[in-house]
Amino acid sequence: MEFKVRDYKAEESVHSLTRVPVSSHPLCSSPSLSSSDKQDHGNIEFFDPLRGLSMEILEPADDMTVAEKHSASQPTSHLSAKEWASFNKLLMQRFPVPKMISVSTLSSKTIRGSKAVGKPVNMQSDELNDSQKLTEEGFKIVSQQEYITRLHELKDEIMRSWHSDDRVTSLKLSIKVARLLMDTSVAQFYPSLFVLATDIMDMLGDMVWERIRQKAEFADDGTMICSLPDDFDSNNICLEAKETCSNWFRKISSIHELLPRIYLELAIFPCWRFLHDHVGDSLMRLVMMIRGIADPLASAYCRFFLLHCAQKLPHCDTGHLITCINDLKVVLTRIVSMKETTFGNFLGDRRLLVSLMEPTIEYTMRCVFKDPNQVADMIVRLGLGKNPLEFYGKVPWISVILHHLLRELPTEVVCSNAVEILHLVECSGDCSFDQCLNYKMLGLKLCEGISQVKAVDAVIDEVIQVATRRKSLDEYLKILDAYMDIVLQYKMDRYLSSILSEIFERLCNEVVTEAQLASLQSIALKLVTHFDDMKYVLDLKYFVDILDVMHGSSRSIVNMHILTNATRNDRIDDPTTVKLLFDVAQSLHDSVDFPSTRQDDNQQAERLIARFIDKVDHGKELDRHLTFLIECRGAFNNMNGLKEILVHSSNLLATRALREKKDHINFIKSCITFNEVTIPCIPSYSRQLILYLETAEVSLFGGLISHSDGLLDSAIGCLQNVYLVDGLRKSNEDADGIVSLTQKLCSFMLLVPGNWEQGVTYIPKSILSLLDSQSWMTPKLRIRVLCSLLSLSATFAQNDLPYHAIHEEVFSNDRLFFGHAMYSQELASLSSAVLNNMVDIIPQEPSQAARGKLALEACNCIASFFKVDHEISSVCSKLVEMAISCLGVDNKYLQSTINFVHKQSPISFGGE
Amino acid sequence: MSVEIKLSRSNRTYRPDEPLQGNIITKLPASISHRGIQLTVNGSVNLQVRGGSAGLIESLYGVLKPIPIVKKSIEVQPSGKIGAGTTQIPFSVILKNQGEEHKFYETFHGANISIQYLLNVDVVRGYLHKALSATVEFIIESDLASLPEKPVSPEMVFFYITQDTQRHSLLTELKSGGFKISGRICTQCLLSDPLVGELTVEASAVPIYSIDIHLLRIESIMVGEKIATETSIIQTTQIADGDVCRTMSLPIYVVLPRLLTCPTVFAGPFSIEFKVTIIVTFQTELYNVQPKSDPRAFRKWVAMESLPLELVQSN
Repeated sequence: MEFKVRDYKAEESVHSLTRVPVSSHPLCSSPSLSSSDKQDHGNIEFFDPLRGLSMEILEPADDMTVAEKHSASQPTSHLSAKEWASFNKLLMQRFPVPKMISVSTLSSKTIRGSKAVGKPVNMQSDELNDSQKLTEEGFKIVSQQEYITRLHELKDEIMRSWHSDDRVTSLKLSIKVARLLMDTSVAQFYPSLFVLATDIMDMLGDMVWERIRQKAEFADDGTMICSLPDDFDSNNICLEAKETCSNWFRKISSIHELLPRIYLELAIFPCWRFLHDHVGDSLMRLVMMIRGIADPLASAYCRFFLLHCAQKLPHCDTGHLITCINDLKVVLTRIVSMKETTFGNFLGDRRLLVSLMEPTIEYTMRCVFKDPNQVADMIVRLGLGKNPLEFYGKVPWISVILHHLLRELPTEVVCSNAVEILHLVECSGDCSFDQCLNYKMLGLKLCEGISQVKAVDAVIDEVIQVATRRKSLDEYLKILDAYMDIVLQYKMDRYLSSILSEIFERLCNEVVTEAQLASLQSIALKLVTHFDDMKYVLDLKYFVDILDVMHGSSRSIVNMHILTNATRNDRIDDPTTVKLLFDVAQSLHDSVDFPSTRQDDNQQAERLIARFIDKVDHGKELDRHLTFLIECRGAFNNMNGLKEILVHSSNLLATRALREKKDHINFIKSCITFNEVTIPCIPSYSRQLILYLETAEVSLFGGLISHSDGLLDSAIGCLQNVYLVDGLRKSNEDADGIVSLTQKLCSFMLLVPGNWEQGVTYIPKSILSLLDSQSWMTPKLRIRVLCSLLSLSATFAQNDLPYHAIHEEVFSNDRLFFGHAMYSQELASLSSAVLNNMVDIIPQEPSQAARGKLALEACNCIASFFKVDHEISSVCSKLVEMAISCLGVDNKYLQSTINFVHKQSPISFGGE
Repeated sequence: MSVEIKLSRSNRTYRPDEPLQGNIITKLPASISHRGIQLTVNGSVNLQVRGGSAGLIESLYGVLKPIPIVKKSIEVQPSGKIGAGTTQIPFSVILKNQGEEHKFYETFHGANISIQYLLNVDVVRGYLHKALSATVEFIIESDLASLPEKPVSPEMVFFYITQDTQRHSLLTELKSGGFKISGRICTQCLLSDPLVGELTVEASAVPIYSIDIHLLRIESIMVGEKIATETSIIQTTQIADGDVCRTMSLPIYVVLPRLLTCPTVFAGPFSIEFKVTIIVTFQTELYNVQPKSDPRAFRKWVAMESLPLELVQSN
């Protein structure tokens, strides 16, 4: 058994490709080209679709005109039908409804008395006894489900009687439903009730509309009179249809109570178009009539329904909108100024009342600013254009209305009238809405159009004054948060520092609450994201102090942002910045609750700190950097991934020292020692293995042979433990990884000088013996390891090794043991052990095909490292037989293997 | 076997100088012979005095003799036969002959006075057979020619309701707290138009419960030497529900119910007039205590203002 002699240099020159020198790098484009590319990028204006104003405003306008045309023929399918439906859906979800609802006696009759419907006598007495309401005060409790079911029943009954030509009953039942809306004692249920009831109103309206249209288009005997165009003229409607139509209005106008009368007229409101062409007057009358409903909740929702019905008209004037808002103002002014008593039938408190009314205000404002062409007109008519001083102290706007107005006002309008609007907000400090939130809303709106803001200084000055007057820190922060972007954008450094100092001062006197934390977080993030240079941010007076007051997730989020931004730069070399960022990173590390946090958050924090460590650069002061790494290890000891980074960094440091420093041996020693201490702290053995190998390499290159030996020992130790501890969850991939590492170890061994005391082949032998003890190693993996061991010993046997360590004091085995008999003997014993092992292991592979392949692999390996003499050829033929029995004679791999072995062997080979 | 009258207009409304047109429709299982088809137009004012408002003796009269307005008979077809199945026989009746100076009052259904026009058809058959007949009411509106000139602008009357304008006693808190409700309302109104106006609660110390508009009719009948008058509510319309905001103008808008209203009439033996009353009800505990009573009774928590209303036919 003899190893083949190899001439690596000759082989390299034979196998390597011929090289041609080139003048330029093929992957690098010419420098002039790249700069022009960059310019192009600069010219492309970034369009943010979420902020696109001019575009977005135009779109709904188009929609509207299309929808309007459609609406004339069918009042149900207008633009807002969808919007209305979705708004209603939200409305029902917005207010949690208790299971049991208190209901006034009168409406409980409608709800409970399902049998009364069949008896007209009862109905009449019901209608006559209007004054009953006066005598029977008091409330009954009905379950919500019962109430809703009853409404659905009523709807069905209305539809049924309509279709059986009993339209009078339909109308009477609809009036009953409308009457339910008079009862606001249901409180939170009122919005839901409204949605259900108006659904019935809409249904009735549609049925009446259809019926009258039918009459207008077709005569009694079914002959067609005319086909009504979408924008028909009332003159074209035949008398018969007009008569029917006005009868409906007559019937409805005879309803005694105001609220049901309004609702019913609104339900069939589009039908006015059959009678005359100026329906706007009627609409205005209804707006005025709603004033007669004193209950604020009932009147608000009634206006809401009016707006909905008005949108069914093809050409609608906007006068009613303005009047609605003005009336709403009067009502709210009254609520705001009244003492906490009762409001109409409403029993809840003022806050609940306003919150129940709020959706209607929201919808109204949306209607007001729906048409972008009319925005300017609307602003004038709402009286916004007036000099704010005129109504100073008169409470011109109710804050809740103002809030929704601000929300709907186009950004450019807000931006160009910032000061005026600020005054409006200032003047409306009533209890219907938190004034702070109005300041905030204004701020957010201004930020939306930040470049168009007029009189920025005046605005910010005013806002800061307003905020400073606020006693509560929470309000102070809430207001300023919204204006932060403007302060930053317009570089108002003076304001910025005064804000920060004010915040800090206030923070010192208070315990920070969650809400405040959220605002602080937002402010801090704005600062962090605005400035590119974190040094500047961290140097801002009080910024770090404010950061220190923060805690919990808010703090972590800010920390993460700071680190993200800081590591965006190429390197961090300023010592104070490093120190500050180190503190930031440490606080981030400390805030992560390791056992319980979600893996993702944890990893993100770790990644950020790793990036930070990576970017820190102490230049030539390598010692300082090592000290920094030591500090990091101490500070971030809970992050295992980070320790790996530290080991890598320290190795990098050592390598740099090797290259740069003359007197480096001690420094490299400290780096290696640092690693020797750090690596065992990492729980994963496979990770340790990688790092041990890396460090061993570095120390070998540094000439520290004893360190490298120790590290290799540790590596072998890892290899032994790897499966025991990393254990059960190992997948094939990990096993593959470990095998690769073992192979890497083998190739590294070539560089390491052998040690007589331990035996030259001490480490390869340990690997070999390890194989048996590792039960997870499949035959396939073992063969791979064995092949590399074989390769290692074959290479060791050469007179000249293919590569050497680049250190003058490190001698490789080829120099140490050249021609040494003991050395060759040891190699021979190792290789024969490996050989035996191979032959023994292959049959253990359970899969036949795999077994065959393994046999061939081993055979190839053996044939390429050994001279094929008798002993070897018998081993080879044994393996080939094994392969034949598994794969069959025709297998291509088998054939090529046989060919290869034949070529190698001077004597005949094979079974024959 | 039936006969019915279908008038040419679905609202059955005619003016006296217009021909009353339509079809007589017979539905017969087999053809019958008849002795002529007769149409009769009958219009009259029916008067009735109920006890209470008139004296005891007058009440004995009970129903007074109706005042005839028109009575006309025409033969649509002479004796003949009507075939089986559905047959339509058109007709046209002239209600008012040219030059005739006869007053056609407008149709009105009141409590004591009712002015009614009926069209009757008789298919007279032999002795052994019952005549087939049917009756419909048709509605008369005044002649265009006889209408007074349309009021150029509807006459608006201003009103004030305060604690001092009330002729009945008020609750002390109403008296002391005071209230002022002002407004204006049309007192001359076309029948086809709604009664309009506006109203503002300027002040009220006691919260308002409701504001209603009562439309009333005043029917007067000459009984012998005396005039029996009765006022009754036709329709109540609420215009304010609850304690409405002060100084906000509320519209008054009342659509006049058909048949229950007609142009104001002053005839010799009877007259029909109208009145509008604004009723302001204040919130009080007394509602629950007091039994329900006549709505016209003057209650202590109610303030009101009545205004005469002249109704005019439109063209």
